[in-house]
Amino acid sequence: MSERRFFRVLIAVVLLMPLSGFAQQRGPATLRIAAAADLQPVLPALLTQFEQQTHIHAEASFQSSATLATQIIDGAPFDLFLAADLSFPQRVIAAGRAEETQPIPYARGTLVLWTRSDSGIATLSIDTLRDPALKTIAIANPEHAPYGRAAQDALQHLGLYDTLRPKLVIAENIAQAAQYADSGNAQVGLISLTSALTPRLRASGRFIRLPAHAYLPILQGAVVIRSSPGSAVAHRFLDFLAQPAVRQSLAAQGLEPAR
Amino acid sequence: MDLQALWLSLRLAATTTLVLLAIGIPLAYWLASARTRLRPIVEAITTLPILLPPTVLGFYLLVLLGPHTAVGRLTARVLGHPLAFSFSGLVVGSVLYSLPFAVQPLAAGFRSVDTALLEQARLLGAGRLRTLISVLLPLSTHSVIAAAALCFTHTVGEFGVVLMIGGDIPGATRTLSIAIYDQVQEFSYAAANRTSLLLIGVAALALVLLYARRSSSGAANA
Repeated sequence: MSERRFFRVLIAVVLLMPLSGFAQQRGPATLRIAAAADLQPVLPALLTQFEQQTHIHAEASFQSSATLATQIIDGAPFDLFLAADLSFPQRVIAAGRAEETQPIPYARGTLVLWTRSDSGIATLSIDTLRDPALKTIAIANPEHAPYGRAAQDALQHLGLYDTLRPKLVIAENIAQAAQYADSGNAQVGLISLTSALTPRLRASGRFIRLPAHAYLPILQGAVVIRSSPGSAVAHRFLDFLAQPAVRQSLAAQGLEPAR
Repeated sequence: MDLQALWLSLRLAATTTLVLLAIGIPLAYWLASARTRLRPIVEAITTLPILLPPTVLGFYLLVLLGPHTAVGRLTARVLGHPLAFSFSGLVVGSVLYSLPFAVQPLAAGFRSVDTALLEQARLLGAGRLRTLISVLLPLSTHSVIAAAALCFTHTVGEFGVVLMIGGDIPGATRTLSIAIYDQVQEFSYAAANRTSLLLIGVAALALVLLYARRSSSGAANA
């Protein structure tokens, strides 16, 4: 009998649940950001800071720049696109989904070679990549992620790409590449400086910067999505990103000023 | 724990389950009673999502619901926003993805009802709808509950379709399974562990309740 009552309550709860959803509509002053995965370690703290300054609530989705650009072009409800390069915002512009005619550069990224302290690599240098004992290297997908493209460029520039190709493990985005290396499943990773500078990765490993001449600068561009409900707020966030104090804190976390 | 994602997953699963019961019961009734050559074809189509990779479903839905097709433009005009990357879009995807989990147990339940009872109902003047409501459904409550529980838990555990058509938007399409993917990616292993344990708990509880009910009713029938 009590079992029957339990099932009745369960069924009633399940029946009522779909009706409750429409109560939680978002206010007009919410900012929805499509953010490149290299911003995952950096952006949440900035959003909190922005909310304290302006009382505007902001939320971010982190994926590779290509995935986000495709979603925006297909109509995903974002107000602002913070990409990891200029080509993906340009695609959004070409599709008529952006307010700007040119992406606004907001930062410059840095590519690093990272390894766990317990990976058995004694001294980390570019020569580590030439070591036949090296078995796996995590990079982001060069087609989807600007950092992946930079990693491919750098390996090609160093003349290592063809030999290392069988050893590459490809992550969907740069945060996942860092995760492959941090979890020890890949021996080294070509990841973003933003990930390498997080307390977690600082504690578990070490890194070297790749020579800047080995890859094209990772200039990161932003566009405001055309006729999105939060486009005015998106402009305020871009102004916030340009504040000297914010630029300084970005630089300390691995994102140099764009100019 | 991402409470927003938990709530979203539960809401999505409940909505999907209700829609699937509404579609699945008539469909399963037809599959259990139809004698046409069309039946195996319809049955194959409804079972297809079990065998297909979620990416196939996600890909076609994304194209179909997007702004480049008439269907996509029409729904965007009616709803005021595109169906992809929204909660309603996830419901459409989940309904297709979990369809076999509703239809299979329901059709099996309806088929196991003694045909003599159905003939008696017909002789007493009951139409098809009356037979379904007064005879078939009361005799297959276990199958209805099994179908509902499977649809619910399968939707809570869905990943690929949600990732492809949802776009990981907090509060709208970031379900629990997507939240775990994000948590792993941002090195929050402790948070990912808590969320994962919760999902294991939900699935295990649903199965235990299901099997407990089956065995207790089996004893009652014996």
